[in-house]
Amino acid sequence: MRTEAKKSDAGRTKSPLSFRKLQKASILLLLVGLCAFASFRSPTFFSWTNLVDNLLTNAAALGVIAIGMTFVMIAGGFDLSVASTTAVCSVVLVLTMDALSPYGAALAIPAALLLTSLVGIGLGTINGMLIAGVGVNPFVVTLSTMLVFRGIALILTGGGQAKQVADINLRNQFNWVYDAQLPLFGQDYQVSMPIVIFLVVFCLGIYLLRFTRFGHYVFAIGGNEEAAWLAGVNTHRIKAATYVLCGFTCAIAAAIFVAMTATAQAESHVGKELVVIASVIVGGTPLGGGSGGLTSTLIGLLLLRVIDNLLAQFSVGAEYRKVVTGMIIIVVVTVDVLAKRRSRK
Amino acid sequence: MFANDNLILQMQGIVKEFSGTRALDKVDFDVRCGEVHALIGENGAGKSTLMNVLAGRFNNYHGRITFDGHQVRITNPRQARDMGIAIIYQELSVLANFTVAENIMLGDEKAGRWTRKLDRAFINAGARDIIDYLRFDLDPDEPVERLSKARQCLVEIACAVRRKVKLLVFDEPTASLGSEDVDKLFEVIKDLKSRGLAIVYISHRLAELPIIADRVTVLRDGGKTGTMEIPECRISDLTRMMLGHDLAEVFPEKTNQPGKVILKVDGLSRPGAFENISFELREGEILGIAGLVGSGRTEIIRAIFGADKAHGKVVFQGRPIVGRSPYLCRALGIGMVPENRKQQGSITGRPVSENLNISILGRLSGVLGFQSSRRLTSQARLMIEQMKIHPPLPDIDIENLSGGNQQKVIVGRWLAAESKVIIFDEPTQGIDVGTKSQMYRLIVELACQGRAIILISSELIEITKLADRILVIRDGRLVREMQGPGTDEDALFAECVRKDNPE
Repeated sequence: MRTEAKKSDAGRTKSPLSFRKLQKASILLLLVGLCAFASFRSPTFFSWTNLVDNLLTNAAALGVIAIGMTFVMIAGGFDLSVASTTAVCSVVLVLTMDALSPYGAALAIPAALLLTSLVGIGLGTINGMLIAGVGVNPFVVTLSTMLVFRGIALILTGGGQAKQVADINLRNQFNWVYDAQLPLFGQDYQVSMPIVIFLVVFCLGIYLLRFTRFGHYVFAIGGNEEAAWLAGVNTHRIKAATYVLCGFTCAIAAAIFVAMTATAQAESHVGKELVVIASVIVGGTPLGGGSGGLTSTLIGLLLLRVIDNLLAQFSVGAEYRKVVTGMIIIVVVTVDVLAKRRSRK
Repeated sequence: MFANDNLILQMQGIVKEFSGTRALDKVDFDVRCGEVHALIGENGAGKSTLMNVLAGRFNNYHGRITFDGHQVRITNPRQARDMGIAIIYQELSVLANFTVAENIMLGDEKAGRWTRKLDRAFINAGARDIIDYLRFDLDPDEPVERLSKARQCLVEIACAVRRKVKLLVFDEPTASLGSEDVDKLFEVIKDLKSRGLAIVYISHRLAELPIIADRVTVLRDGGKTGTMEIPECRISDLTRMMLGHDLAEVFPEKTNQPGKVILKVDGLSRPGAFENISFELREGEILGIAGLVGSGRTEIIRAIFGADKAHGKVVFQGRPIVGRSPYLCRALGIGMVPENRKQQGSITGRPVSENLNISILGRLSGVLGFQSSRRLTSQARLMIEQMKIHPPLPDIDIENLSGGNQQKVIVGRWLAAESKVIIFDEPTQGIDVGTKSQMYRLIVELACQGRAIILISSELIEITKLADRILVIRDGRLVREMQGPGTDEDALFAECVRKDNPE
């Protein structure tokens, strides 16, 4: 019987495991294939300017948010409020810098960054408390806070005017966050600051998710929250912490965005939450959580960005790029659902 | 009750009510260290409710619980767990995305003081200790989703032992295991017992008790009917204690006459679930399908009804059904009363009338699909009367009906749709004996009217008493066909669990 049991075990469960790897590999292959195709069709695609300066630098801020989102989603949660949170953080950052500009950049910038981080953490805490503490459905909570936070951003800017740091000196100094180029690979191959920030957050994220007890519990909650709770895991705190983390990554992203555009607008980043969630899902973290990872999310994000970039190079309009992006998500998720259904029984 | 130092758990006068109905009525129950105490009773007798009280799932029970020498009030599952009570449910609560070791050590991980780094060596060493101590055949690094159900059960036991469990409750563990796995589990239980653990063993398979249990407590309709030492009790006594009367009284006389073939299943297969199933069903016939939970019996009838995809042919009244789906089957005259009433049967939150008429709304609607509520209600009243649904109110939410009456509504749905074939999947699960008896009468009556019935049940006695023919399903294959009348329940059980000779 033992052989029989093992046989049926293998029959039932080998496939989903190999499928997981297959899916991850297929997305990576798709990414590599697209890049190859792109460089073949467009000589500028594989240039350092296009890839690093343009594509990666632009993806960095959303990538930072996607890291926070991955934690939330692996724990089985969901956060629709990230774009609004980022908007509030941007506005707070600009307003505080503006207010503190008389005291000089050395004080204004760190103080403003600190306050912005606290705001991001605070907004994440609100989500976390409502979801983990009170037990309201994450979709409902973050849909509501998405509206509330957006409203707060509008109120802070007096109805949606673009805010700018008045002090030109200070503004230029803060632009360093976006403009600075680090000659990591020699003078010809400089890496922009947003990419460096992303990489730092990414490495910290990997450590937190893969190597700490906290990360271990994030996976446990996504796998079976009730069982984790019964095993003595403080599931409420861990779940809340994922939203706090997500809020914090929004604050970091806000700093990049503000440095990039030198302004803060309450209505900015609308719809970006969907791009972030799409990257996480395309990467392979399922909606119910329990599996996935940051590398997957990075691949998912890059896939979406490369497709977008590629279409832009062929002068495909933004409206068509949206259609294509949406279709890619459907295809990836459909393949996932079909393969899972096949492997289930 | 006499004093006994050995008692680890004493529950006295436990009462638990669910919105007015008493699920437990002054139940006394105790367990000694180093014994296996069986808790038996029919579905709905209160076994699981009693154990859920113990597990801390309710905080509004009445009665006294003494555990390990202290009087306690158990109000949440964490408290129960911390006291040393572990319940291994049929639906195992392991983390499929974790390895064996990670599961065993969940909640007891160590992390570095400053780095907060997870100590994986500690997890592996700790898990290995427990596995060695229990002499389980488990690989700590194996992902749990790759294990069979029996082995997942071992993981849960290891988990409980790691938490220094004192009382271990098994909730119908053998319901979904094959016979070899059952033997293995019994060995494990005996080993745990010899280590001084107190074990509660919930089951409704009486035949298992002499092998595994030391004492047995019988529950019926929320009350306790007695506790006995196993060596002193006879199976027939236990049956009577469980049912409240002899079995023969419950089942109606079979008066149906099988006629011509109405449904033919030919070579139905679904890889991984079942293979090459072929059989015929006649008008006026009750066809029993017997097999363990997980043998593929539910999957087979779901495939026939078109709820799942499968290869093979299903011929209904001489014509193959192309593109099977529940929608098409309903239109042709095949109905199914699904296994899980709550999730797949009742449309909760909606009135009885809608639940009764859902399959015939097309027929009842007027111009432009207009639904006349008067028509719906009068049609519903007709069915309520015919099915003796109680209370006879078409407008109340179906959730307010008892399990048995909800089941009648779902059967009534298919009668209203004038189905010629009705598939019953565990129709008596969780309903009381009185309603069960009515359900049996109804099934025979439907067959007498010339309808063809497929009956799946885990309670094999239902099949032997009601079915004209019995198909035995084992590991997804149709292994035997038996005659219904005259087949002995034990013989049928033996057939369901018999092991195949490999190759």
